[in-house]
Amino acid sequence: MVSEARPSRADYYRVLADALPAQALVVTALGNASYLWAVMHHAPENFYVEDAMGLTLPLALGLAVAQPARRVVVVEGDGATLMHMGALVTVGAVAPRNLTVLLIQNGVHAASGGQVLTNPELDLAALARSAGIGRASNVAAPEAFAAALKPAFMADGPEVFVLSTAPDIDVVRPPIAFDPVLTKNRFMTAIGAPRYVPTLFGGGRLEAE
Amino acid sequence: MSLTQSTACHRPSELLDTLKRLGFGAAVAVPDGWLGGILERIEQEPAMRLIRATHEEEALAIACGLRLGGVRTVLIVQNAGLLSSGAGMVCLAQRYQFPLLILVSYRGTPDDPVFYHVPKGRVTEPVLRGLGLAYACAERSRPIGSQVEAAATYAEEASSPFALLLSREDIQW
Repeated sequence: MVSEARPSRADYYRVLADALPAQALVVTALGNASYLWAVMHHAPENFYVEDAMGLTLPLALGLAVAQPARRVVVVEGDGATLMHMGALVTVGAVAPRNLTVLLIQNGVHAASGGQVLTNPELDLAALARSAGIGRASNVAAPEAFAAALKPAFMADGPEVFVLSTAPDIDVVRPPIAFDPVLTKNRFMTAIGAPRYVPTLFGGGRLEAE
Repeated sequence: MSLTQSTACHRPSELLDTLKRLGFGAAVAVPDGWLGGILERIEQEPAMRLIRATHEEEALAIACGLRLGGVRTVLIVQNAGLLSSGAGMVCLAQRYQFPLLILVSYRGTPDDPVFYHVPKGRVTEPVLRGLGLAYACAERSRPIGSQVEAAATYAEEASSPFALLLSREDIQW
């Protein structure tokens, strides 16, 4: 829910950075969701999604299924959630135990200039529960987020935290190049994902390093 | 009739056997009238995970996430789903160069002249060309398994999605 005095995205990101378990993978949505996280906690295990609005949550769902031994944290926006609301239903149905969903609720399309959402005050936690996700809560302060996040990382998910956040319209300049293929290859190398061996070399399959 | 002979005669079985042989660990799908049966078979495969998505563009993103995590993944959708997935195809799958095999029930062709499918069939290939999405139409005169393998290999070696457009005989169990 959107509250009156809202913390910044950075306030919540500090909590996330402090609580993040070893081996965790973080998938961030377009705009400052990715740019600011790169400023505050760049790591090869981050996958930054640019554009592709509404597709960060389903991408993270696939990643969580593929990497069940690692905690997967996804940061998605409220506008993007409205755009592909069905993804909440799929998360509820698949129910990956290692997925933690952070929904930044700022009530606007921040990445495109701050246009108000179709419904800026929707109870996204209630929506997530209705979609079949067992645990979902609205959070209005970083302290409450800090108290809830570490236990959540120790428990089975999926779990959704809806973070009431002040809009951040000014674009944050990331400290690294946001080349999509570089992002993907750096991430896959960091997690030791199997690589495809071309048929020329007698492959044609994914093979573990 | 031996199992091998039976599989060779039944193109959907041959298609599924090829996916298993190539090490596909996951399928993400939105069903249509031709796809329901094979999805039920995939669900019973111990080495494959089926995820049923609510929308094809969402399915595309789930497939990208699975492949990002190192699982060879096939997307199974109707051609209507390709038409409604253009943004994700361009901004995610193609821009990040995810190798994805996409198996498509090709509805509304002259072989499937259902009045409400025809508009989709008429525009599918022009739209795919417009998107720059590599694709092929499966040939009924050739075994389907080798065509699936070629499509899957193309996707990996080109680091891109590849769509194989299938007729009823290829995919409907």
